[in-house]
Amino acid sequence: MTRQEIEREVKTIFQREFEIENPGMDDDLRETYEFDSIDAIELLLAIEVFLGYEITQEEKKQAINIRTINQICDYIEKIAQTRKLSPVVK
Amino acid sequence: MERRVVITGSSAITPIGHGKDQIVESLLKGTSGVKPLREDEFLGRYIHSRVYGTVDYPVDYDFKRNHRKTMGPVAYYACQVAKEVLEQTGLTDDFITSGRLGVAFGSIHGSPTVQRNIYRTFFEAKEKSAYQGIGAVDYLKSMVHTTAVNITKMFGITGRVISSGTACTTSSQSIGYGYESVKFGMQDAMLCGGADEYDTITVAVFDNLLACSTAFNSEPHRTPRPFDKLRDGLVVGEGAGAVMLEEYEFAKKRGAKILGEVIGFACNNNGGDLILPNLKGITNTLKLGVENAKINAQDVDLISAHATATKMGDIIETQAISDVFGDSPYVVGLKSYTGHTMAACGAIETIISLYMMQDGFIAPTLNLEEVDERCTMIKHVQKILQQPVNIAAIQNFAFGGVNTILLIRKFS
Repeated sequence: MTRQEIEREVKTIFQREFEIENPGMDDDLRETYEFDSIDAIELLLAIEVFLGYEITQEEKKQAINIRTINQICDYIEKIAQTRKLSPVVK
Repeated sequence: MERRVVITGSSAITPIGHGKDQIVESLLKGTSGVKPLREDEFLGRYIHSRVYGTVDYPVDYDFKRNHRKTMGPVAYYACQVAKEVLEQTGLTDDFITSGRLGVAFGSIHGSPTVQRNIYRTFFEAKEKSAYQGIGAVDYLKSMVHTTAVNITKMFGITGRVISSGTACTTSSQSIGYGYESVKFGMQDAMLCGGADEYDTITVAVFDNLLACSTAFNSEPHRTPRPFDKLRDGLVVGEGAGAVMLEEYEFAKKRGAKILGEVIGFACNNNGGDLILPNLKGITNTLKLGVENAKINAQDVDLISAHATATKMGDIIETQAISDVFGDSPYVVGLKSYTGHTMAACGAIETIISLYMMQDGFIAPTLNLEEVDERCTMIKHVQKILQQPVNIAAIQNFAFGGVNTILLIRKFS
């Protein structure tokens, strides 16, 4: 799974779940799109589905300061590396 | 400090129409909003009562995703009528967000549609992954105060929140407690109302208690039949109603259009049985309301009775009205048009009373063809009357033994 594929999937999630079209990679999601803590929880659920496995509660807490699409992609890459698995696209 | 409280906006989504024009047209034409019960994937097919007060027309919602995400169907209803009321009043954003505007709004149990999905996920769960079926926002969509707080969120309202969930007195309490909040100076305005969504669980509950109408399943528009000899129970319905209450001087100063005045409210409890209507408790409520409004009982021109069309409920209410008001006020059972819209009924019936007051007519109780001999001591309305109404009383009674009366006056 390449970085580009992760970015494409995250943008798909944003379009499907949050009706946010083509967000800038470094846009502040809260300020630009009113993306809030409730959305963040929904995003983590969507990322779990994308990865095909569960994210631990500790890992979820690490997501609390994420503000941009780039940071979300970093987060997914880091978790995938920790598991030494590639995300599974469904 | 006691301040005058006026109504400066109203809106309703009901089985007989959305907004004043449609609702008044239905009243004048005698159109019922009771339709066949819809099939559902749960227990609907086993319910004996096959009728429902149904909103079967599209409502044109225009809510942003950021608001929609915490809203179940009941909150859509609530936010739509709240939006229409706020637009009518012309209140400024500065005031709406000032903390001097509060919200009193409720539903009987949040969103049953969302709750069903939560329970389905829970009970069908075979694997841990099913856990993901319960969303982060499901509680916000389904909780009992979901209507009130989705309204505060959508419009940035920062005043007090009152969210009664007292079944059929939910929105009469909303208006009553909103009235008291403004009257006694805690808020300068209150957005008040109630809503309930289409829900067969509520029908099943009343059906099990033998309280639902079953004899007119093939002719839904002929039921409910308040005070009629052939009445056989209530018909559950859906809808929403909202009013804006404002302190009179504040409304006058800003040039608001004043639709009417709330002059009294009373609420008490029977202190006993949670289901059976109680003559003493209801009679006391009506007396307390008249006292609270500082009027004589004979001053009341119109009574919107709770009148669910159950056998005993209508008889007890008739006796209480007769004891307190005699036979001078006209009495109408508006649920004959809408069915029993549960948490919304107090607000919807207040709004319809307001419409009749504004337009100088009284709609008849639909399906009242032959008055039950035990309900004859009051002045029923069986045809449209062109009749000025100065003071109207709106009566509602709930499971749990809660009774309310609201009194409104034509503004001049």
